Amino acid sequence: MDFIPGGELSRRIREGDVSAESELIRQFEPGLRVLLRRRTGGDHGLLQDLVQETLLVVIQRLRGAGIEDPQKLAAFAAQTARNLAIASLRKAERQKTDVDSEATERKPDHSRSVDTQAGDLEAALAVRALLRELPQARDRLMLKRFYLEDHDKEQICREMQLTEAAFNQALSRARRRFRQILEERGFAKRDLLNLGL
Amino acid sequence: MNQQLIEQYVAGKLGEAEAEAFEVACLEDPELARQVEVEQRLKSGLEIVARGSTAEFVRSDSALRWRLAAAASVVLFLCAGFYLWQRLPGGHPQVLAAVTTHLQREGPSMRLALVRGAESMPQLPAGKVRVEIVGLFDPGFHYSVMLDRLRQQHDVANIATLDGQHPTSPMTLEIMLDGAQLAPGTYSLRVRKQASDEEALDFTFEK
Repeated sequence: MDFIPGGELSRRIREGDVSAESELIRQFEPGLRVLLRRRTGGDHGLLQDLVQETLLVVIQRLRGAGIEDPQKLAAFAAQTARNLAIASLRKAERQKTDVDSEATERKPDHSRSVDTQAGDLEAALAVRALLRELPQARDRLMLKRFYLEDHDKEQICREMQLTEAAFNQALSRARRRFRQILEERGFAKRDLLNLGL
Repeated sequence: MNQQLIEQYVAGKLGEAEAEAFEVACLEDPELARQVEVEQRLKSGLEIVARGSTAEFVRSDSALRWRLAAAASVVLFLCAGFYLWQRLPGGHPQVLAAVTTHLQREGPSMRLALVRGAESMPQLPAGKVRVEIVGLFDPGFHYSVMLDRLRQQHDVANIATLDGQHPTSPMTLEIMLDGAQLAPGTYSLRVRKQASDEEALDFTFEK
């Protein structure tokens, strides 16, 4: 699908075009997930909540007063998401402090744990499937060193006696297969769902 | 937007301003955002798996080698089976076969011998025929029998070869020949002592 510029989306939403709101969700949701994933520490439930909240705030703003520079709608949405993530973090910190000050018997909060685990589990299961499929021990070690031990490519290539081209090829193959596994498990479909606006 | 930028963003190696610009780019390009999310989830999935144990990363390729060895065994077994099936009497219609039953000795036959000055070539009877090849044979050796079709200008096409045949006597070697599988024409049977440089005996006949 084509990308619709922010100016046009802003104008159409202001004029009451519901299809433009759907379009805004389709365009921004994947990017918001990326941005918020980085700020929610693997809490899948919180991530979903914040994505929805951001989209809601942006759409309501466009329906009402609008934004200063409609051409910068993406930047506005990104900043809204960051502000909401910070606010959520502060709220969580406050709650922690309040509970501590009461010094009561604390019970672990499981309210989000199922969602968190489900989100993590999905990626973990896909990784397990990927690791089982990778034919060479070398490729598995390469992933471990690159993603977990944070070694840079040059170092890995040098120590594993790989050319950079071979390294990139193996990495790209692993990513492609991982995405395929995720998509088989419904990753792509979920992109457009769960947004009850 | 290149992969290197995605890797740097996910690894947290971009400066704040760069990371924020990259995030805006993700909002403007859903496909880029999906690529980044795959990278984020691959990293987090690996972290979760490694939290349990890193054994999955360092397991050797022995499982794969075992699987390859098993596959090779199956292929070898199938090839051996096919080879044996080809050699079994009745498993597959063969032009040439060894004489294995008493009944075959009582059925139709054709005698091939090197007869000096013969004016006509022997005619192969219809159906399965026991061919009695007359010559001087060494009972302690195996013989190969080759069936060739003779065409014009010395063009010879090999049709079948039967190895490991024992002479029934020092002067006779018998094989079964299925004439039903041969088109009309001129053929030759060449009988050669295996593991020997002796000249082959060559008999011609017609179908």
